[in-house]
Amino acid sequence: MLGMEAEMLKGHLDAIVLAALEAGPAHGYAIIETIKQRSAGTFDLPEGTVYPALHRLEQAGLLSSAWTPPPNGRRRRVYSLTRAGSAALGQRRRAWGRFSQAVDTALAGGRG
Amino acid sequence: MSGVIDDYVAALRRELDFDPALARRLASEVEDHLQEAAEADQAWPSADAERRAVERFGLGREIAAQFAVDSVDRQARRTWVTLAVTVVVTFVAMRVRVIWLDDDVLGVAPLIDRYAFITALAVGVIAWFAFRRSLTALAICLGGLAASIGAGIVRVDLFANGAPIHVLLPAAGEIALLGVLSFHVIGLGRRLRRTALLRKPELRRTAQ
Repeated sequence: MLGMEAEMLKGHLDAIVLAALEAGPAHGYAIIETIKQRSAGTFDLPEGTVYPALHRLEQAGLLSSAWTPPPNGRRRRVYSLTRAGSAALGQRRRAWGRFSQAVDTALAGGRG
Repeated sequence: MSGVIDDYVAALRRELDFDPALARRLASEVEDHLQEAAEADQAWPSADAERRAVERFGLGREIAAQFAVDSVDRQARRTWVTLAVTVVVTFVAMRVRVIWLDDDVLGVAPLIDRYAFITALAVGVIAWFAFRRSLTALAICLGGLAASIGAGIVRVDLFANGAPIHVLLPAAGEIALLGVLSFHVIGLGRRLRRTALLRKPELRRTAQ
């Protein structure tokens, strides 16, 4: 990933993580896999980068987490969106929509 | 297992020593993550599969640095809340002492009591607006409050003078809060130092 794209992604990582959990609870590895799949490999940050975001979002009350025993016997910490997290995701989506539309318009210049 | 994952997790745990509870929790999470990533590798079980999982995860120092920055913010918030509560309780304890004493005692202690408190309050207000992460400002507030509380107790010879419970309780509260505040200020100092150390390589690279 190009340096500029990586920096842009970092600014939106919290929202991307919230969106990855919208479909249901998941553990860190599954969240990263979801992000990679949805971005078709474009978002390829170091996998560990997602953990500070998960902890930050949990501290802010947007996620909750609990250890669960999976079928193969290994304990996993599973994260879920809280009600506040769902609301925050909605807000961030709207803000991103407005922002990206404004950037598109500005970048289009006189070509439109 | 070849031990590549174990070594990585142990190193990450050392980098997170500023927050032992976080270090324990994250060590388990990261170990689970790396194990799953290694098992998904075609070369599993092998040291190469573990090495690739670790490489994809990123440098432990950089991940710890991100946690350290968040940890400084949380600790700063805790410290400021404790400082605000300590200021209020100290003010109440001071007023209760003065009313109970009903006498203007002359000497150095009343001056220290009053002006050390005012200094702590003024520095605290300025730092809240301008230097919220400043350890020096918080240390000055802590020192001012400690001097004010100490002088206030000396001023009325509180514990030897048969003070009533409504005077002793706020005094005990301010002493306890001063202890909690000291603990938080020391914790913030540790986290700030650790963050600076962890971010040093990044800063060096940026400067190059």
